[in-house]
Amino acid sequence: MRRPLRARLARVLAGLGLALSVILPGAVAPAAAADPLILRVGTDQTFSGLNPWQAVYVLDYEVFTLNYDLLVGYDQNLGNAPGFAESWTTSPDGKTTTFKIRAGMKWSDGEPATAEDAAYTYQLAIDAAKQELTMGSGYIDGYLSSAGLKSVKATDATTLVVETDTPTALLLPAYVPILPKHIWSKHTLKQIADAEAEGAFLNNAPVVGTGPYTAVEYKPGEFMRFERNPNYWGKQGAADEVIIQHFASGDTMVQALKNGEIDYARGISADAFDALKADPSSGVTTVEGFANGYSYLTFNGYPKAIKGGGSSTSATRDPAFRDALAYAMNLPELVDKVLAGHGTPGTSLLPPFQSKWYVAPAADKLRSFNIDTAKAKLDAAGYKLDSSNKRLDKDNKVINLRMTWPSSEPELATVAQFVKEWWGQLGIGVEAAVTEDDTLLADLTAPENDGKANFDTYMWGWVGDVDPTSLLQPFTTDEIAGGSSDTFWSNARFDELFKQQGQQLDEAKRKADLQEMQELFYAEVPNIPLYFDSELHAYRTDRFGGWQNQPPDTGTPLFGFGPIGYTLLTDASIAPSPSPAASEPASSAGASAGAATPAPSAGGTPATATSDNTTLLVIGAIVVIAIVAGFVLMRRRGAVADEE
Amino acid sequence: MGNRFIARRVVQALVTIVLIVLVNFLLFRAMPGSPERILARNPNVTPRAIEETRERWGLNKPLIPDQFIAYLGATARADFGFSFVARGHPVTEVIGSRLGPTLLLFGAGELIAIVVGLAIGAYAGWRRGGVVDYVGNGISLVLYSMPYFLLGMILLLVFSSTLHLLPSFGMSTPGLRYGSAFDQVKDIGLHFILPLATVSLGLIGQYSILMRSAVIDTLGEDYATTARAKGLTGGRILRHHLLPNALLPAVTLIAINLGYVVAGAITVEYVFNWPGLGRLTVEALNSRDYPVLQGIFLLLGVSVVLANLAADLVYSLLDPRVRL
Repeated sequence: MRRPLRARLARVLAGLGLALSVILPGAVAPAAAADPLILRVGTDQTFSGLNPWQAVYVLDYEVFTLNYDLLVGYDQNLGNAPGFAESWTTSPDGKTTTFKIRAGMKWSDGEPATAEDAAYTYQLAIDAAKQELTMGSGYIDGYLSSAGLKSVKATDATTLVVETDTPTALLLPAYVPILPKHIWSKHTLKQIADAEAEGAFLNNAPVVGTGPYTAVEYKPGEFMRFERNPNYWGKQGAADEVIIQHFASGDTMVQALKNGEIDYARGISADAFDALKADPSSGVTTVEGFANGYSYLTFNGYPKAIKGGGSSTSATRDPAFRDALAYAMNLPELVDKVLAGHGTPGTSLLPPFQSKWYVAPAADKLRSFNIDTAKAKLDAAGYKLDSSNKRLDKDNKVINLRMTWPSSEPELATVAQFVKEWWGQLGIGVEAAVTEDDTLLADLTAPENDGKANFDTYMWGWVGDVDPTSLLQPFTTDEIAGGSSDTFWSNARFDELFKQQGQQLDEAKRKADLQEMQELFYAEVPNIPLYFDSELHAYRTDRFGGWQNQPPDTGTPLFGFGPIGYTLLTDASIAPSPSPAASEPASSAGASAGAATPAPSAGGTPATATSDNTTLLVIGAIVVIAIVAGFVLMRRRGAVADEE
Repeated sequence: MGNRFIARRVVQALVTIVLIVLVNFLLFRAMPGSPERILARNPNVTPRAIEETRERWGLNKPLIPDQFIAYLGATARADFGFSFVARGHPVTEVIGSRLGPTLLLFGAGELIAIVVGLAIGAYAGWRRGGVVDYVGNGISLVLYSMPYFLLGMILLLVFSSTLHLLPSFGMSTPGLRYGSAFDQVKDIGLHFILPLATVSLGLIGQYSILMRSAVIDTLGEDYATTARAKGLTGGRILRHHLLPNALLPAVTLIAINLGYVVAGAITVEYVFNWPGLGRLTVEALNSRDYPVLQGIFLLLGVSVVLANLAADLVYSLLDPRVRL
């Protein structure tokens, strides 16, 4: 039996070896001359689909701005730039805007792209509002309703006239892709708006658009592949194709980036980012931009007691109480401990990313962490300590604040531990407990919307657009009934300024309004902005050059606003990138057996990139072998002992 | 007698499936939040849209009997609604597209592990104290005790990141132009090697350890001694007297594992970004894609029951005693 079994094993192994030898040499798959130059982008987010009205995530916005043009685009500094429209003028009363559509523009399928298409797209939002329908997820049409869109008309092929209820600053930044009427008008409003309706229109690939790239392949949960739009009116980027790939694991994404299997990665963890940054030989350039949003700690400011819900103490309604507690928040330490330093302490409801509108608090207004100040302010505001050093509210009740956060944001658990410690020093108890996202949303709902506003404090985050309006709106009085207010803060001056800034066409005047709003907000503390997190991205420079951040000082090359980052890319094999990445990545030790992706075009220096890993691996291998050997020896010794 | 045994097992399996369907209903109704809350945080969503969502999900009707009856009907039609995340895509389509890759990976992994693991284990047990026993058993123990994701990460670091021999993620290279069908097979094959190696190495450890001890156990049985006394050759004893008995525990383990073939090893798919059901489960959990989760739970529950039923039936063929 011995022989046959071994012989059979040998045959099996030989078979495997043969199979490997057939497969492995094939690993060398250098790009043939005719192969397209593909930009591969990795992301941790998943796709909502190709119908722009369904967009929810940053990734979805990225997808539709590759496919389509906005009426007015964004330049490198987030200023207005030609998009579907070449130019625009606003009437003296500010209520009528006339857009000049580029003459001779074509959709990717060759059909003419005219003002009719733009009118059709905007009319969809008007019609939906009339029927009280929500277009998809409700984010895109929201831009037009916020702008007060009243009517839209194409007077000829190149002229689009848009009327709004009031003068508005929100029409030009409206983030609405212009869709081809000849495709979309074959479907009913309901089929476009509702992805689960009978005969729903999902806009499956291949997509027809006017953007620089159009989606030709989409695997839900996997990737989207875009090809260059041959009819694109603007500057063409070097990539013939763009593939956006979803990764379940951030570690795998970073490995793929280091291997050269992808060129760009968004959503890298702080640890992996620091490791990439510290290793210049990896051939990867890291970029830390500001996120367009912030994390906050909200107080329940609902002005009345709520039966079976509401805040456990009237103190959370009191601006003086909230102000005092804000002094007991060591925000720089939170940035350090929670974000590993990748962020900045929170100072406003507008993030510094919106550099045109963000105003930092004046030096004499800025709170700095000081427990004694916080105590003194609480005393002054009438919140006394009882005999056992517990802080009492004005109803002489011991203050024990419930604090929660959504389960989708685990890092906020760390924040809660810090806050509990700091506020504990003030004599204020904190009961910290996580809540499942949907339950939390239900708990945040005000009585106006059949909820009970059942919380004291909670933490989460807001994400903004280029225009500040969407970040300001939840703090207006109207939104308590409207549904997006979670502070239930109401301030008549803030409301007035909100309305005014939205209609203010003069930028300097609008900024003055926004400054006053930010000051009001900071003084009354409806929420405590905790921090502005960073966007941690990284890219390679061996296939593509020309990476430019948007905006240059606070942004990232991709996943900004509009497709400009893609159109600026150059072919690294033709024009070497002037990128700061000094050490060109080694195209790899195994270049002769490179991965199945098209081979890097940059020749590269001999491999040094992998030395660190190799050392680690050798050590790891030795350890494993030692364990196995030790085990075998012990067994053998035991067996010998048995025999004896 | 045999038929009655089979009938009893089949009925038991059916009852279990009915229970699974029931639990699946209650479990997801007991979960926090409701579909319309997903929309609620957006200030632009109209009351009409929220009302329509409630209507579509039947949330405006009583849980029992209306919602339950609707659920039973939908389950019978294999209609699990639409994914919350991949907008407009039915759950059956989302799950269906992930089923193939998982079956391929774990089907092949199981097959390799069964052949190699059982062979090593049998030989190691038969030649107890030999080189194959020492080395094979040592390696098996290391592999068995090592979590999949660790094994996967090590293979990834060695063969992908350091040696650059194999791709690190996915099932194929998106956008790659294949010159021929052979190129395509090659591309998928290259992507297949590391995940497959991880799955089968992990399982080989399990099988060989179990098989080894089963063979050693049977070696001491009277019938083995009898066979030897009859003067049978070693090969005949192993094949005709030891293996049939030693295989019994292995069959149980294999059957249980087969039930999880559909689930996949979540960590393997996660590490290699393999587009299978295991990864889908993690992602659906993370994004609270309840309809997809509900579909996956039902599928997994039913497949585990069916795998166990198959094990019972095979077992009864191998070991007639259980039919008594």
